[in-house]
Amino acid sequence: MFDTTSGGARIELDGLTKRYPGQAEPAVDGVTLDIPAGELVVFVGPSGCGKTTTMKMINRLIEPTSGTIRIGGTDVLAMRPDELRRHIGYVIQQIGLFPHLTIAENVGLVPGLLKWSKDKIARRVDELLELVGLDPASYRGRYPRQLSGGQQQRIGVARALAADPPVMLMDEPFGATDPITRERLQNEFLRLQRELRKTIIFVTHDFEEAIKLGDRIAVLRESSRIAQYDTPARILAAPADDYVAGFIGSDATLKRLALIPVSVLSPSTSTSTSTTDGLPQIAGSATLRQALDAMVAHGRQEIAVDGRVVTFAEICATVTGEQAGVAGERPVSGVR
Amino acid sequence: MSLSEYIASRWDLLTQAALEHALVVAISLVIATIIGVGVGMLTYRSPRWAAFAIGTSGGFLTIPSFALLGLLIPFLGLGWGPSVVALVLYSLLPIVRNTVVGLKGVDPAIVEAGRGVGMSAAGVMTRVQLPLAWPVILTGIRVSTQMIIGIAAIAAYVAGPGLGNQIFDGLSRLGSVNALNSALAGTLGVVILAILFDLFYVVIRRLTTARGLRV
Ligand SMILES: Nc1ncnc2c1ncn2[C@@H]1O[C@H](COP(=O)(O)OP(=O)(O)O)[C@@H](O)[C@H]1O
Ligand SMILES: [Mg+2]
Repeated sequence: MFDTTSGGARIELDGLTKRYPGQAEPAVDGVTLDIPAGELVVFVGPSGCGKTTTMKMINRLIEPTSGTIRIGGTDVLAMRPDELRRHIGYVIQQIGLFPHLTIAENVGLVPGLLKWSKDKIARRVDELLELVGLDPASYRGRYPRQLSGGQQQRIGVARALAADPPVMLMDEPFGATDPITRERLQNEFLRLQRELRKTIIFVTHDFEEAIKLGDRIAVLRESSRIAQYDTPARILAAPADDYVAGFIGSDATLKRLALIPVSVLSPSTSTSTSTTDGLPQIAGSATLRQALDAMVAHGRQEIAVDGRVVTFAEICATVTGEQAGVAGERPVSGVR
Repeated sequence: MSLSEYIASRWDLLTQAALEHALVVAISLVIATIIGVGVGMLTYRSPRWAAFAIGTSGGFLTIPSFALLGLLIPFLGLGWGPSVVALVLYSLLPIVRNTVVGLKGVDPAIVEAGRGVGMSAAGVMTRVQLPLAWPVILTGIRVSTQMIIGIAAIAAYVAGPGLGNQIFDGLSRLGSVNALNSALAGTLGVVILAILFDLFYVVIRRLTTARGLRV
């Protein structure tokens, strides 16, 4: 269907525009964006800025007024919309599971539309339930109403993944869940995405969520105009203008620290000669922000990470000094 | 002759009339459901057309049943024809109205999800919207049933089938032998039929409502 690279397909938007009848301003005005295969791009912007409209044009739930969309080199506007949507995963905030169908029927819906055999669908459903952490034997026969909100959204993600689409569109998928569930869903989702490497467009109005999840972030202003399109670290380090800076808030440095794992501090940079005895301990997988948090909490300038000492000065040096270059790169496998 | 003796002596005739009565009601409901659900499906998205459809089907109900049946004679003659047509027209309002209400009540997010995963518009309607709206639509059909079981008796006026013949025959001869018994037996039959139909709907409702909606 689409040309894919390692699980994902490149998405190219060119001059994508939507005018709703009777509205002076276009809801989306000439969006041009190139999303590399296998990357998770977050659209972040205030409510009403056109994020949902932009996303729904990609799976043609909304027909663009003008512009082009290519997925894996294929012109999306030349395809049959129903056929197109079967190859694009779609997850929405309201989840939208079919209440009269079992969990297995919900998840197996798209493979069914694609005329997979019954056996193959059943195996795929079990595989997906495992993938999102729900025991197939006890969940496949249940109905959506018998699941918690967090479990329902896991099924929403499983349904979107069912036919292994190279592209996923996710519109504030975790927006309606409580903070604890949201954090867990985000972490599970990141773990999944590291494995699957789909091309994902993820919409949110929560900048923290954008930083946590995005390989890249597109900060949008009204009519979906792109204020800045870059990696989270570079947006935090160098916001393009006041609008983007306003979005980041006044704690850009702390947000940057949250992106950097303590493992970037190589033992050789450690200037302290003291031992780790009696120091507060944190895990080697923690971020610099968590390290700083532990220091503040214990009123210390040093803490122990995996048997060695990390100092306050080292953390500051990471932000200001030459380490910034390293910090700008997305860690391959660390806590984000 | 007491009422029970009368019923015992006319048992075959009465059961025959009751069966015909049930049949004319059932046929009318099937036709009205096809038309009413179809009209509801076509109009529910447009407030103006939905209001027009509900208004029109409500308009039929304001026509007195004697007048409607009489007016149908020149076109359809006597017997089953005008009876069924009149009963269909009288059943439409609750079915159209509940179809519109039921379809409008389906969570838009669920419909959008259906489109979003690649179901066709017709697929979303038959596999998602109608099953979810069905309990409401069925309630409409049930209300129609209650309404037209009584009205069906008046079909005797155009020589239609059913228990109405017992009732009107008796009423026109009041004072003569068994006239009251005849009217009472017919009326009793209508009431019993109404109860049986209602029990039938309890069963139908259980059998046709998706399990996921009952949990
Ligand atoms: N179906 C529609 N008809 C008319 N205007 C719409 C429609 N959908 C969205 N809009 C308008 O387009 C703008 C962008 O909306 P939307 O894409 O939903 O924003 P976001 O998802 O960023 O909150 C808003 O001003 C909204 O009022
Ligand atoms: Mg939105």
